[in-house]
Amino acid sequence: MNTPAGRLRILVAMSGGVDSSVAAAMLVEAGHDVVGATMKTFCYSGEAAESRKTCCGLEGIRDARTVADRLGIPHYVFDVEDEFTRDVIDDFVAEYGRGRTPNPCVSCNSNTKFRDLMRRGRVLGCDGVASGHYARLDRGAGEPRLLRGRDSSKDQSYFLWGLPGALLDLLHFPLGDLTKSEVRSRARRLGLATADKPESQEICFVPTGDYRDLLAKRLLPTHPALLPGAIVDTDGRIVGRHNGYSGFTVGQRKGIGGGRSERYHVLEIRPEAREVVVGPRHLLEVGGVVVGGLNWLTEPPEPDRRLHVQVRYRSPALACTVAGSGGDGIELRFDEPARAVTPGQSSVFFDGDRVVGGGRIERVTDTPY
Amino acid sequence: MHITSSPIYLDHAATTPVRPEVAEAMSASLAEDFGNPSSGHAWGRRARRRLETARASVAASMGVAPERVFFTRGGTESDNLAVLGRLRHDLAEGVTPHVVTSAVEHPAVLEAAERGVLEGGRHTVIGFREGAFDLDALEQVLRDDRPGLVSCMWVNNETGLVLPIAEVGALCRRYGVPLHSDAVQAVGKLPVDWARAPADLLTITGHKIYGPKGTGALIARDFHALRPLHFGGGQERGLRPGTEDVAGASGLAEAVRLAVAEAPAESARLGSLRDEVEAGLLAGIPGARVNAGTVQRAAHILSLGIPGADSDTLLAALDASGIAVSGGSACASGSSAPSGTLAALYPGDTAAALRLSFGRLNRRRDAATVVRAVAEAVERTLALVSP
Repeated sequence: MNTPAGRLRILVAMSGGVDSSVAAAMLVEAGHDVVGATMKTFCYSGEAAESRKTCCGLEGIRDARTVADRLGIPHYVFDVEDEFTRDVIDDFVAEYGRGRTPNPCVSCNSNTKFRDLMRRGRVLGCDGVASGHYARLDRGAGEPRLLRGRDSSKDQSYFLWGLPGALLDLLHFPLGDLTKSEVRSRARRLGLATADKPESQEICFVPTGDYRDLLAKRLLPTHPALLPGAIVDTDGRIVGRHNGYSGFTVGQRKGIGGGRSERYHVLEIRPEAREVVVGPRHLLEVGGVVVGGLNWLTEPPEPDRRLHVQVRYRSPALACTVAGSGGDGIELRFDEPARAVTPGQSSVFFDGDRVVGGGRIERVTDTPY
Repeated sequence: MHITSSPIYLDHAATTPVRPEVAEAMSASLAEDFGNPSSGHAWGRRARRRLETARASVAASMGVAPERVFFTRGGTESDNLAVLGRLRHDLAEGVTPHVVTSAVEHPAVLEAAERGVLEGGRHTVIGFREGAFDLDALEQVLRDDRPGLVSCMWVNNETGLVLPIAEVGALCRRYGVPLHSDAVQAVGKLPVDWARAPADLLTITGHKIYGPKGTGALIARDFHALRPLHFGGGQERGLRPGTEDVAGASGLAEAVRLAVAEAPAESARLGSLRDEVEAGLLAGIPGARVNAGTVQRAAHILSLGIPGADSDTLLAALDASGIAVSGGSACASGSSAPSGTLAALYPGDTAAALRLSFGRLNRRRDAATVVRAVAEAVERTLALVSP
């Protein structure tokens, strides 16, 4: 396990799900002084029934407390609503407003879950903070290295590129060497109430399961992202109408009309014209990408450096070359054309298993149309 | 971090440990009289005798006739029964039910009144003006609307604020409106001659006064003016059906007896402890204020307002250093929820609330330790988390 020798006082982020429950249990078994914490990220009043399905709702808090009681560790609920709203929800809404597709879990990991929790942990005398992410920290030599989780089907390092580098040394990912089924069987062996809880798939602050409900609540009704517009093909011909470009993401097939010999996909969203551009699948392939909002967990790479980049969760890392960098951005050229590269999504840079950094996709380059 | 040598429990307003005399009364009842008080045989008679002895004891302590004491399963149930029971009575009588409450009532009163709104009733909330309960507003409602019930607690559980129950009682009498008072934080905490209580309905409970959890009573002048909330038996004259908890009633009786008898001395003792802690904390925490500090307060509760502090973190830090306190009020999530009481007293204020509540587990010599630990936890919280 990725913990340095010696007993530490560790704050564990517990959502009530099976992963963080087992993470807490493993730290207890390893002899650490463990404190459980659940973040209250938004107000649950009146949403108790709706939020039952998501992992961070009221039900999750109760589950986390039950597990903590079973492990014999204290458990606290921290109201982080202000910080979470500012750093995660507002950003999520703004990104959709700009026609992009955000990764809110990345914003939460980059800000709330570790930085804000660690600030609270320090008040409680904690030396570190842990979570149930499937990722590893290699503390072998020198600076800690963030690595992919051993279980490639569960690896969540993609969501962790935004971690403040200074925090790495304080983090613990006890599940990094385990597979999901090992985690579940550990949970059962420990008699944890959450052992057979289903995976949460939804966004924790979207209890209805449809993010457009949230946008409708938080954007003015006159916001361009919510207004009707044209669906156009790559020649600019209007081929349909839509009820707001915020309902679309690159690669999507739903909502753009059928009746063609070839299936069409969303290729691009043009917020300034309120246009959704569609076309056949092969037009989704692009040659390069410009990534902004960078965070490096190593020295930033020089031009011509070879890297691997993962442009969405659960997709393979693609070989690429650094074509240029400057300011807050970097341009990468893929060895082979890449499909469905979506502005707003995270681009995560790997050197083998090691996360070297990441950023948000600003735009694609070298498009086929 | 400073960790106190032994943990200090400063949450007596949340609950208290059962005292030995109470445990003894309860175990005698459990061991000897398991019978069902409704049974006609010898076992039933013995249980019934013990139950009625307990009722007579509670009645004597509270200065009322035994037939006014109705055992319930605790404060929440007594509050619900007083408010909703009255409301449903009025509804059945064809009167539009109308319940008037203070803004600082326990949720067991406020949510029962809101439930009553769903059932066709009205709920009027009387707030505070310049820190004082708005008696003028109350009088206006009483005069204009003749509501079916006023519910005004005796001592507020979050701040220790003592409501002007004598004045409220006089107004209610003048307009012929029954008064309910939740007295769970007053019995045993204030030196009160309960025989002279100006309330028609009183809620009391065992676990705030070193008695058992899950046992309380509603003391009712006229139980015909209430409808039951439970059905299925004739126990407690049909007002609270269900086989009686004889041991609980015995424990409650002993707890009330001791609490009322000891209230003058204990409130004086806790008052001086509270004053010492209060002075120390006000000196040690810049900007701190005492909530409801300008009005009469019960001796066992000290509620501090600490501007700029993160309430959840502060409570966790205190727990980590061995001090058990509570925040504004616990919300369902376990995080601190915005307190209705503090919102009524300090509209728009965002200071973190810290409630220290004193009792039998505390000694004068703890004061310095408490002051040091709390001041230090506040300092750490303010330094590292600014919301």
